Order: sequence, then structure tokens, then C-alpha cells
Amino acid sequence: MLRANNITLSYGNVPVLAGASVSVEAGQFVSLVGPSGSGKSSLLRAIMGLQETTAGTIETSGLKQTDIGILFQDDALLPWRTALENVALGLRLRGDDPRHALEQAEVWLERLGLTGLCGRFPRELSGGQRKRVALAQVLALRPRLLLMDEPFASLDAIVRARVTQDVVDLVEGERIGVLLVTHDLEEAIALSDVVYLLSNGPRAHIASHYSIPIPRPRNLVKARSHPAFAPLYERLWSDLSEVVDGPRRLGVAA
Amino acid sequence: MKVLDRVWLRQLFALAVVLALWEAAGQAGWLNPLYAPPPSRIAAALFELFSQGAIWSHIEATFGAALGGLVLGIVVGVALGAAAALVPFVAELLEPVMMMLNAVPRVVLAPLCIIWFGIGLGSKVALAFVLVTVLVFFTVYTGIKQVDRRLVERVRTLGGGRWTILREVYLPFVTAWIMGNLKVAVGFAFTGAVVGEFVGASRGLGYLLSFAQSTYNSALMLALVFLIMAFVLAIFGAAGKVEKRLLRWR
Repeated sequence: MLRANNITLSYGNVPVLAGASVSVEAGQFVSLVGPSGSGKSSLLRAIMGLQETTAGTIETSGLKQTDIGILFQDDALLPWRTALENVALGLRLRGDDPRHALEQAEVWLERLGLTGLCGRFPRELSGGQRKRVALAQVLALRPRLLLMDEPFASLDAIVRARVTQDVVDLVEGERIGVLLVTHDLEEAIALSDVVYLLSNGPRAHIASHYSIPIPRPRNLVKARSHPAFAPLYERLWSDLSEVVDGPRRLGVAA
Repeated sequence: MKVLDRVWLRQLFALAVVLALWEAAGQAGWLNPLYAPPPSRIAAALFELFSQGAIWSHIEATFGAALGGLVLGIVVGVALGAAAALVPFVAELLEPVMMMLNAVPRVVLAPLCIIWFGIGLGSKVALAFVLVTVLVFFTVYTGIKQVDRRLVERVRTLGGGRWTILREVYLPFVTAWIMGNLKVAVGFAFTGAVVGEFVGASRGLGYLLSFAQSTYNSALMLALVFLIMAFVLAIFGAAGKVEKRLLRWR
């Protein structure tokens, strides 16, 4: 579905990524973790076409640009549009009839537990509610691949757990491929089928990747008590520490 | 006192006290009426202006010049500010010109406007226009440059092109900036119109001010000042209502 091969990019003269490769299959949940400043978000932006690369290829076989959705850390809702209008905007831009777009937007807001909040402006919503609106905005477009850049980082623990479970249920139900950038190793293991670890920057690359054998459909609370969880977390934490503290040879976990 | 719980009531009460003290001082002969006529004489001058009916043509002239300059200034200021923010070459040309115009106390342009456009309506509109255009130019220029890039990226990733981004992001963002400065623009427009009339005109509140000054009629002068203040405040109120309606999302 998505293959980003040997992506190299820099900001001016500052090299960020040097030959990073990740892939996401249909319905697969993939996370990208790594030290701060390693270029996780830059890789995501490059895949979305928001950041130019200096080398490498991005293949999205069978996907049109409109099949890819992105959710940023900030909800980035238009403050002058209501929740309903924000969700309907993407649908209208894809050519939907305005009335149909509003109807669909309402359906998605209800699906994400925002019944009765359609007419509110973003400033009148809580952080969790805004995040749900942003999620509805992206999911209403029926993406086949969803890119998420630490979308839950700004939420408090309870809201974060609930919104994250909503996302898992939706992407599992719709068989959406996901590439999630996160700094939270627990979140990465609990959510993902595969976790990629980026090396320390500059010139970061994929240091290792890990298959997560926790079955789906996944309950995020139960996933954390799965026998595979703790050893994977220890392994990932140890590898991340090595990546941050100094170069060592890293293997590929089964 | 319960009746003074509201802010506007307290303000009205304070105004009434000041006017009463002023009147009492005037009646007691502590203030020279040539310089500071009591409120009753100012009110009488106001009453005379309206009872004779001649004031309406002056109000019409001032309002026409101020509103003409305001509308033209907003249209041209928005166009130039947007062009400068979006096209670097235009910014290179316009920014120094606008900086210079902004640095000059623009009322000194009044005599020049009279020479160029005559003592009729044109020179007053021109002066109000210059004052408003410079303000709106910088408002729009700065506003566009401060547009939240995340919103632009959001609309782009939703499938929006250049025009959609302009309509969905830039336009509402800049409208908010302009509305925030609309009251200042209204004040500038009236300043331009009245100063233009003061320097050279045959009609308008500024012309009446000039007449009152030349005849040492301070009661008429203060009556006109209060009249202009009342009109500008009324427009501020209307602008505030429009702002509240347009920016209800804030």
C-alpha cells in the first residue's frame, strides 16, 4: 500500500533523514518511534507531499492522493467554521454536494460521540472533542491510508485512552492502513502491528523494526497485559536507549 | 446603591456630575465663557444648529467624505495589502511608500489635497482615503503574513487548492484583522474628512469648526466637537455589532 524507500531529506544544509524506509500494508497499523528531532514528523510530511525529499521514492500503489488522510498533533480546525462545517469541508472539496456533505459530516460526528455539538465552534469544544472533530474530518473522507503525527499528545490520559480506542475500532472496522508517529512506546506497541525505530539524527535511518504479535480486534487496556507486551516494551526501550546513547548494532525482532 | 451596579449607569452618573460641576463653575463666573462656555450654552448652540436645519447639509458633506474615504480606503488597502503579502516584488515597491506615508503626520497632506482636488468633496475623500488606506494596508499585509500555516496545510491535505485556501483560510483570517481595526479606520476617516474641511471647504462640520474658530465662538466649536464625537461613537457601536456578528466564532 505504502512504501517509502530510502527517504533522504534536509532542512537547508541540515540533514535530517538519510535513507529511511518504511512500509504499510492495507489494514496494517504501523508506528514510527525514535528520539526527538530524528525526523519522524518530517518523514510523515514527506509521504503526504508537504515536505520535499532530496532522495528516495514514495510508492502508494493503488492509492490516489485523496485516499490518504493526515491527522496532525494540532487539530488545526478552522476556528470560523462549526464542527459540522469543518467535517463537511473535506467532503465538499472532494466534490460532494454541500447538503450531502453536511449529512455525512453529521453521521461521522455522531459516530464519534459528538451528537449535539455539530453547531459549536472549535473554541467552544474541549481538547478531546476537537480531536474527535479532526478525526471525523479525516475519516469522513474514507481514507485507505491514515497518517497520524502524535495526534493524541495534547490530550489528558482518560480522554486520550478513549479517543485512541475509537481510532483503533474505526481503523480495524474500515481496514485502514495507519502510519502513526509517536514518542510513546507503550502506545506504539498497544496499537501497532509493526513498530519502526528511527535512529538518532542527524541523518536518521530506520535502526530496527518489531512485529507485534498481539491479536486483533484489539482492546488497548487488555493489549497492555498481553504476555508479549512487556518483553517487547523492554526490548524497544533498550534499543531506543542505545540509539540515543550511542551507535550499536541492532537486530530485527521476530 | 443598586441603581449604580451597572457600568454604563456609573459612567453616565460620572458624566452628569462633571457637567453639573462645569455648569456651576460657569454660572458662578469661575470660568471665562470665551474659553470654556458652560454646558447650557453649548446645548443652546447645538439646539440652534438643528432648529435652523442648516446643519444637515454639513453633516451630509462630512459623512459623505468620511464614508467615501473609508470604503475606498478599505477596498484599495485590502487589495494592496493582499498583493504585497502574496507577491514579494509588490511588497518591495509598496512597503517603503506606505512606511513613508505612515511616518508623515497625514493631516499635513490636507493642503496638498486641496490644491490637487479643489475645495469640494474630492479633497476630503482623498485625505480620508489616504489615512484609511495606509492603516488597512498594514493590517492586511501583517494579517496575511500571520495566517496560521497549520490551517493552510490542513485545507491543502483535505484537497483544497489555491483558491480554496484563499477563501477558507486567508479571507476569514484577514477579515478578523480588518474588523479588529475597523473602529480605528472609522476614526481616521472622520479625522481626514473634518481636517480637510477645516483647511478649505464651503460645507461640512470641519468648515463649521473653522468658522467657529474664526469668530471665537467656543460654544459652537464645543457643540460641533460633541456632535462629531456622538456620530463617531454611533458608528463605533454599529461597527462593534457587525464585528460581533462576523466574528462570533472568536
